[in-house]
Amino acid sequence: MGGFDFALPQRQFCAMADTANFAPDFDAPLEYMRRTREYYLALGYDNPYRWAHYIDAPFQPLKKKLSDSTLALISTAAPYQPGKGDQGPGAAYNAGAKFYTVYSGDTAVDHDTRISHIGYDRKHTTAKDSNTWFPLPLMREFANQGRFKLAKRFHGAPTNRSQRVTLETDAPEILARCRQDQVDAALLVPT
Amino acid sequence: MSLVARYLERNGIPTVVMGAAKDIVEHVGVPRFLFSDFPLGNSCGKPHEPDTQRFTLDLALKVLESAIGPRTTVQSPLRWNDDGDWKLDYNNLERMPPEEIAKRRAEFDKVKQTALDQRKKAGVA
Repeated sequence: MGGFDFALPQRQFCAMADTANFAPDFDAPLEYMRRTREYYLALGYDNPYRWAHYIDAPFQPLKKKLSDSTLALISTAAPYQPGKGDQGPGAAYNAGAKFYTVYSGDTAVDHDTRISHIGYDRKHTTAKDSNTWFPLPLMREFANQGRFKLAKRFHGAPTNRSQRVTLETDAPEILARCRQDQVDAALLVPT
Repeated sequence: MSLVARYLERNGIPTVVMGAAKDIVEHVGVPRFLFSDFPLGNSCGKPHEPDTQRFTLDLALKVLESAIGPRTTVQSPLRWNDDGDWKLDYNNLERMPPEEIAKRRAEFDKVKQTALDQRKKAGVA
């Protein structure tokens, strides 16, 4: 296992030395909840979204080595849907491209997935390279190298803003599909 | 998505979330989380930089394998750029002139209506 592989060019990493020349205060993980609340309040929406929140979290250790485990990809990306408006790259927020039931796809082939239905960073991201939100091709490569076994299907999780539907319908459906495919572990990529 | 991770984990399937919204994922509370301090949409590495994508996936797998308990967050050491100024842009009212806010308000009203119509059609409204 080991730690980080620092074979990447140094420019990719933060400076390592501790001096009194601190980083600027703003350069910390962005407070999306606060930013979002203030933003929608300014847009005249005074019924702020309440994010799900729990004190504890469940935990299951891997039951076998990762190389012997079947790993499934779960994604919030949408399949490209012709006729549902501009889905990018670079499209404005497109609520019409959302999907409302779990979908699955064959991991042996490539898929055209989009994120125009999600509030990603449209100023600093063009959404031209789907590998930044849908790592299926890379997972296939890792699986071919023996790192894990790739589940035969990936699953798309709806982002319809109804936590009740997520808890009572979508999550159980994704679990059922993972069980059908004898999945041992899951990699989830929200956007 | 964090809710799905929790549900799978509770039902016997270990999970790792690759994400960029640290506060939201940690507010929900997930078993394992690889956080990339990148603009939303880049949870799996930088666009057109396969070496950063490979690094990020590799790290997520290591978190999956090695976490010793729930709410494990590992922050990727990768930087989006040198100055981090992109963090000041996202939905930041302080960087938006009033006419831009007015324009966005009008757009948002339209989006809300579309989403509501869709939910009604899908029977989840």
